[in-house]
Amino acid sequence: MKKIFNYLNPIERLGNNEYSFIFPLVANVALCILSEVYSYGIVHDPMAVGTYIIFINVAFIIYFSFRDGISGGIISTIITVLYYFYIIYNRPYDKTQIATGIDTALSIGVIYILLAIIIGWLKQTIDKLIGREANEKLWLQLILQQLAVGVIITDNKGRVLQTNNQLENILGIKLPSGYILGKDKHLIRRSSTNIPFFAKQSSIYQALKAHKSIIRKEFAMRRNDGKDIFVQVDSSVIRNKNNRIVAAASIISDITQEKELERQKDDFLSMASHELKTPITSLKMFIDLQTQQLKENDATKAVYYNERIRDQANRLKELTNDLLDVSRIKTNKLGLKTEDFDIAEVIHDIVESIQGTTKAHKIIIKNTKKQIVKADRYRIYQVLVNLLSNAIKYSPRGKKIFVQINKDKNSIVVSVQDFGIGISKSQQERIFDRLYQVSEPRERTYPGLGLGLYISKEIVERHKGNLWVESQKGKGSTFFFSLPL
Amino acid sequence: MNKRILIVDDDVDIIEPLSLLLERKGYTIASITKGKEIYERVKNFKPDLILLDILMSGSDGRVICKRLKKDQLTKKITIIMMSAHPGADKDSERAGADDFIAKPFEVEDLFTILQKYS
Repeated sequence: MKKIFNYLNPIERLGNNEYSFIFPLVANVALCILSEVYSYGIVHDPMAVGTYIIFINVAFIIYFSFRDGISGGIISTIITVLYYFYIIYNRPYDKTQIATGIDTALSIGVIYILLAIIIGWLKQTIDKLIGREANEKLWLQLILQQLAVGVIITDNKGRVLQTNNQLENILGIKLPSGYILGKDKHLIRRSSTNIPFFAKQSSIYQALKAHKSIIRKEFAMRRNDGKDIFVQVDSSVIRNKNNRIVAAASIISDITQEKELERQKDDFLSMASHELKTPITSLKMFIDLQTQQLKENDATKAVYYNERIRDQANRLKELTNDLLDVSRIKTNKLGLKTEDFDIAEVIHDIVESIQGTTKAHKIIIKNTKKQIVKADRYRIYQVLVNLLSNAIKYSPRGKKIFVQINKDKNSIVVSVQDFGIGISKSQQERIFDRLYQVSEPRERTYPGLGLGLYISKEIVERHKGNLWVESQKGKGSTFFFSLPL
Repeated sequence: MNKRILIVDDDVDIIEPLSLLLERKGYTIASITKGKEIYERVKNFKPDLILLDILMSGSDGRVICKRLKKDQLTKKITIIMMSAHPGADKDSERAGADDFIAKPFEVEDLFTILQKYS
């Protein structure tokens, strides 16, 4: 029915827009011209047209009101009534006939308009009903396609009925509808078992086919492009009115990032406990030695052991401070107590005390000019200690370390340069990440929690400054930080 | 007695007090901080027992342990692994170590283990 209707309706095919009123207009005018040609040119009877044209016009009005709503009907009516008036005044009618003619034309006009209104209203109501249904379907499709999770709906034979864009993005393959799960062995593989994700042995397949609901089941898998991902699958069976299972709908979410964070966190915790346990081990042994020594009354050794005990206690204190700072940063509680002080003086103090811990390195201050900054003295101290200890730690073969203060228009820039192992380009992006250093705890190469640069960057940024690095692998690194003046 | 013990740990803060404590007990002690040097050191020091840290800068105690236990010349040396890492006891068993002690340890517990192998 709809097809026939559309066929009859060229404008529908061209698109329904603000110009669609032209069609009833043109059609009605054409009808009037044809009737003139017919009555004068073919039958040579100027009266012949009147009655027939009324019926044809009614058909036009019904058609156009139905097609275009009320407006189509009204356009047809106006053209028809105008044409009646044209006939009334241009044909050989007498006065009484003209008066009757006008009455007829006007009443016909009113009836036509009523007809147009009723049909137009009917048409609009039908449109709304049809349109709502069509829109709802379209709307659901749009939502489904643009959901942030992957969706796959299968029938009770494991055939794919529907998927969405996100599923394609997550799995890296397109599952065409009609595709039967478990058929293609080359689809995605579960990385641990090497069983294809949707193969018959895989639990998602069994769940989808055996009609069991799955809630938050995690799978590790390897995509065809080699990327390892983690997905979480929630699957529920769909029953029809008779409570028969007809389909399964599954939501597949990519949880690779969450998994990675979780792993980093676990690694970090185990690294932190390892780092904390080492000084405790040492402390306990020195305390034992100390006790034995005190019993033997050798004061020089006892004093030495005491110093070592203090060193180890300090090491513990620093580790716990770092952990506390990180939690302060995370909870946004790292407050600053700013004051005016000479940063050159602070640098001198730090260099002096750090130089005392290494014989292999020579720390050289290149510029010693007094430079007052407004900042948190303790926190800036912390940043400098971190940069200098890193410079020492990552240049295991010794050599020089340069510290420099430079001033430009709006800020001062402090740099710490070492000639150690350097940092590759790809690592440079990550060294300021919170847990970076500890990402491979089992292949640890340098001690520490890996929190120093993360904390330092946060401190500098809270001063509205910047912390950055320039480095070349194998040649050394220069860390810079700026403080606004 | 007078057993010869080689301590392998990358942290001098562990090596120093541990050596002192063991020396006081009458053991002969040698120590290294770099795992790579162990094969050389084992040859010239000839230890009866090795206290081996698992997680070290630049080397892996498990690999060292496996290698020593495979070698005819060194497989008789008692290896006691130590680590602060959770789950390291299983690692040490898999690597073929004779015993394991978790850091931080009670000095008395370490002595008890050492007694077992003397």
